[in-house]
Amino acid sequence: MKAQNGWLLLLAGTLVVGSVLIGSHRKGAEFAGSDGQAMEIVAAIQPGYQPWFRFVWEPPTEIASGLFALQAALGAGVLGYYLGFRRGRARSRQQDRVDAGH
Amino acid sequence: MHIAEGFLPPLHAAAWTAISLPFVIFSARRVTRLMHDQPQTKLLLAASGAFAFVLSALKLPSVTGSCSHATGAGLGAILFGPSVMALLGTIVLLFQALLLAHGGLTTLGANVFSMAIVGPWVAYGLLRGTQNLNAPLAVSVFLAAMLGDMATYTVTAGQLALAFPDPASGVAGSFIKFIGVFAPTQLPLAVVEGLLTVVIVNFLREYSSDELQRLKFLPEILTAEARL
Repeated sequence: MKAQNGWLLLLAGTLVVGSVLIGSHRKGAEFAGSDGQAMEIVAAIQPGYQPWFRFVWEPPTEIASGLFALQAALGAGVLGYYLGFRRGRARSRQQDRVDAGH
Repeated sequence: MHIAEGFLPPLHAAAWTAISLPFVIFSARRVTRLMHDQPQTKLLLAASGAFAFVLSALKLPSVTGSCSHATGAGLGAILFGPSVMALLGTIVLLFQALLLAHGGLTTLGANVFSMAIVGPWVAYGLLRGTQNLNAPLAVSVFLAAMLGDMATYTVTAGQLALAFPDPASGVAGSFIKFIGVFAPTQLPLAVVEGLLTVVIVNFLREYSSDELQRLKFLPEILTAEARL
């Protein structure tokens, strides 16, 4: 399990880093969101289209990046708590078994 | 990528909301029942939701020079069954629509349909299908999570194409334009999502086997010692 996971994580990391390297060699690469590009296609197909509903609340750019970080932190926090809790419990059970054996 | 606020005409927005709503209600009831019947799995459910939360917050760069994010919806679908993800995905999408101006309330129904309904069902179907073909579990999980992610973006392209058919080439021509933007950007990200989902499932099989056995869903697949 450990070896396989190590390789998988390395591969995932390589893919992301590789994507930046390959992507930034492209002309006009700004790493804009693909959602924005899709909306540009909408504008090309139907030039007159105006969104008929505005965001209830739109955070200023700097605040938005913080909120994205908050979302990631909340997710990573809960996930990390679970994984750590589980691993710790499995370890201590293993230890108990070793102790009981003596 | 989610369809931005106001970018689906009112009729389309209403139709997708009407289609998604029953799935979300059913999902909420499933989750309530799951919490009641198997309170021990609460933490694992929270962790599956958290996985979707992290992955959909991270805008990752792609080879195309633009960026997008994964969905993280495959893991929960593999562990708890696809219907549970409709609720979890809706929570993620609501958070982003209300606080991050990403996605939107009028397009929530359409985005829930692609990310929280179709993606998880495709992932689940692929897991089942490839397991029936005796594929190694890691391969099954990888394909399920990766293609579930791609399915989400394919549906999004379809939804946009239906709303904005090309004047010359119609819905099909428009679909090709949208998928042409999404697919190349999404592909490497979907591979990353597939790899990370395998990592988590490997971990669970090692350290959470008691919890996996309690899941009514596919315990025989996830806890089988023979295939890794």
